[in-house]
Amino acid sequence: MSASSVAENLRRARRGVGMSGSGSGAPRPTRKSKKFTARTWTLLAFALPSLALLLLLNLYPVIYAGIQSLRSGSLIDSGTFVGLQNYTNILTEPAFWKAAQFTVIFTVVGVFGSWLVGLVFALLLRTRIPAGGVFKVLLLLPWIVPVVVSSTSWNWLVATPQSPFPVIASHLGLGNVLFLADPVLAQVTVCIFKVWISFPFMMMMMASALASVDTNVYEAAKVDGASNWQSFRLITLPLIARTTFVSWILMTIFCVNDFPTIFLLTGGGPVNATQSLVVLAYLTVFQNFQTGPGVAIAFLMTFVLVVISVVLYRQIRKVNVE
Amino acid sequence: MSTLSVRKARIGAEPGEITKVAKRITSQDLQERGKWWRFVLILIITAIVLVPIIAVVGLSFTPSLGSTVTGNFTLENYGLVFSQTAVAAWLKNSLTATLITVVIATAVAAPAGYVLSRARNKLVSGYSLVLFVVQSLPVVTAVIPLFILFAKFNLVDNLAGVTIIYVGSTMSVAIWMMAAYYDSIPIALEEAAWMDGASLFGSFTRIVLRNALPGILSTAIFSFLLAWNDYLIALVFLRSDPNYTLPVGLETFFQQNATNWGLVMAVAVVMMLPPVILFTFLNKYFSVGGIGGSLAGR
Repeated sequence: MSASSVAENLRRARRGVGMSGSGSGAPRPTRKSKKFTARTWTLLAFALPSLALLLLLNLYPVIYAGIQSLRSGSLIDSGTFVGLQNYTNILTEPAFWKAAQFTVIFTVVGVFGSWLVGLVFALLLRTRIPAGGVFKVLLLLPWIVPVVVSSTSWNWLVATPQSPFPVIASHLGLGNVLFLADPVLAQVTVCIFKVWISFPFMMMMMASALASVDTNVYEAAKVDGASNWQSFRLITLPLIARTTFVSWILMTIFCVNDFPTIFLLTGGGPVNATQSLVVLAYLTVFQNFQTGPGVAIAFLMTFVLVVISVVLYRQIRKVNVE
Repeated sequence: MSTLSVRKARIGAEPGEITKVAKRITSQDLQERGKWWRFVLILIITAIVLVPIIAVVGLSFTPSLGSTVTGNFTLENYGLVFSQTAVAAWLKNSLTATLITVVIATAVAAPAGYVLSRARNKLVSGYSLVLFVVQSLPVVTAVIPLFILFAKFNLVDNLAGVTIIYVGSTMSVAIWMMAAYYDSIPIALEEAAWMDGASLFGSFTRIVLRNALPGILSTAIFSFLLAWNDYLIALVFLRSDPNYTLPVGLETFFQQNATNWGLVMAVAVVMMLPPVILFTFLNKYFSVGGIGGSLAGR
C-alpha cells in the first residue's frame, strides 16, 4: 500500500481515538486465518530471544541450584548425593534462624519505612513549592547513587569513634555511640541505611499514583466539610491503594534479596547481628566453600519468596479485576 | 496515570478541562500562603537527606593524608587516583559492561514487551508470571550455578561473562517496563496500518517503536542503573584488579586505604558521576510507575 494511504488511515484512527476516548475507536479488521498465523509467528519471534535468555540465565541456574542443594560439594567438586541432609542441617542451625529473623526485621522496616517516607515526600512535593522540580530530582539521588558509594560514605559518617556522627553524639552527652559495633545499633543503622536508599523509589511510585488522583475530588470533599486528614484517609489512600500494594510487593522482593546494602556496610557483623539470609548464603558458599548448604539456604529463601510472590501476584490481579 | 496523560495529550483538551483549570486556580490561591514555609521545610529535609552525598563530594576535594597541599581545596586526589590506581580501567570496564547490557536488554525487551502488551492469552499470562517469579529470585542462587557453568567457558574473571549475567538480571524488569509503555499506545494506530496491508512486524517497527521512544529511554535508564550499580555479580566473577568494574574496584581500594578518605572519595565521585549526569538530563523520561502499573495490569 502507498505511504499516503497509511498516513491517511493513521489520521482517521487518531480521530477515532479522540472521539471515543479509548483505544478501541477504530473498527477491528477481520483477520484471515493465513494472516493470523503470520501474526502468531511474528509474536513468537518477538518473544523468542527473551525466552532463550530466560532459560539459560534464569531457569537453568535455579534448576541446577535445586540439584546442587541435594549434594555435598564445593565450587570445584560436585560431591555426592546426600538427599535432604543439607536442608535438615540448615533448619537445625541457630545461625539460619537468626539470619531469617534479621531478614524479616530488615524487610519490614525497609518496606514500611521507605513507603512512609516516600509517601510523605510525594505528598509534600505535590503541593506548590518554589523550585519543586529541583527537589524532586535531588531527593532521588540516594537511589541513583551506587550503593558502593553511599556505603563508603556512611562508613565515613558512622563507623569509627572519630567519625562525625559518633563525635556529635558524644558532644550531645550520649557517650560513646558505636553505630556499627553494637549488635542492636548496627541492625538499626543498616535498616535506616536501607530506608535512605529505598525511599526515592517509593516516592516515585507514590508520586505517579497521586498524579492520577483527580484534584476535583478534593474540592468536592472540601465543600462537604472534610478535613485534610479525612480527605487523605478517605480519598487519597483508597485511590493509591493498588500502587501501594504493588510497591510493597516489589520492595519486599528488593529487601529480601538485598546483598550489597548489608554486606558493604557491616559485612554481616558485629557477631553476625546483621547477617541476612542472602549474606549467610553468600558467606557459606564463598567463604566457607560449602556449596550444598549455601545453595540450600538460597533455595529455601527462593522457595518462600516465590510462594509469597505468586500468591501476592494473584492477589493483585484480583484487585485489578474488581 | 501515564496512560491517561498520553491519551489526553493525543486527544487535546477535553470539554471539562476549562472548568477544571478555573477550580485549580482557587485551590492554588489557598496553597500560595504556605508555599515558602514548605520551601524551607523541604530545603532542610533535602539537605539532611543528602549529607552522605555532600560528604563524598566534599572529601574528594579535601587534601588527603600526607598531602603537601595547604588550604581546604585541592584537585590532587583525582590526579593521584588516576595515576596510582587502575580507576581508568575500572571506569572503562564499567562503561563497556553497562552500555552493552543496556543495548542488548532493551533490544530484547522491546519486542518481548510488545507480546506481553498486545497478545493476551493463557500462554502470555504464564510467561508474564514466570518473569515475575524470575524477578523475585535472589541473585545469589543464580550466581553459583552460573559460576560453575562459566568456569567451563573461560567466562570467569571476564567482562563478557559479567555482561551476560547483567542482561539476564535486567531483562524481566525491562520487558515489564516496555509492556507498560506499549499499553499506553492505542492499538488503533496499528490496526489502521494492518488494514492497509502492513504486517505485524512492519507496524511494530514503523509505528509502535517510533511512538514508544520515551518508554525505550526509560527502560534503558533502568538497565543502566541496575548494571552500573551491581556489586554482587562483579564481586563473585571478577577476580583480578585490571578486570574490576568500578564497584569492586572502589570497595577493594577502600579496604586498602580506609583512612585516606580524599582518595577513596575521588574514586567514589568518578563512580557516581555517570548515573547522576544521565539522570539529570533524562529524568523526565524516567518513571518507575510503569513497573507497578504493568505488574498490576496483567
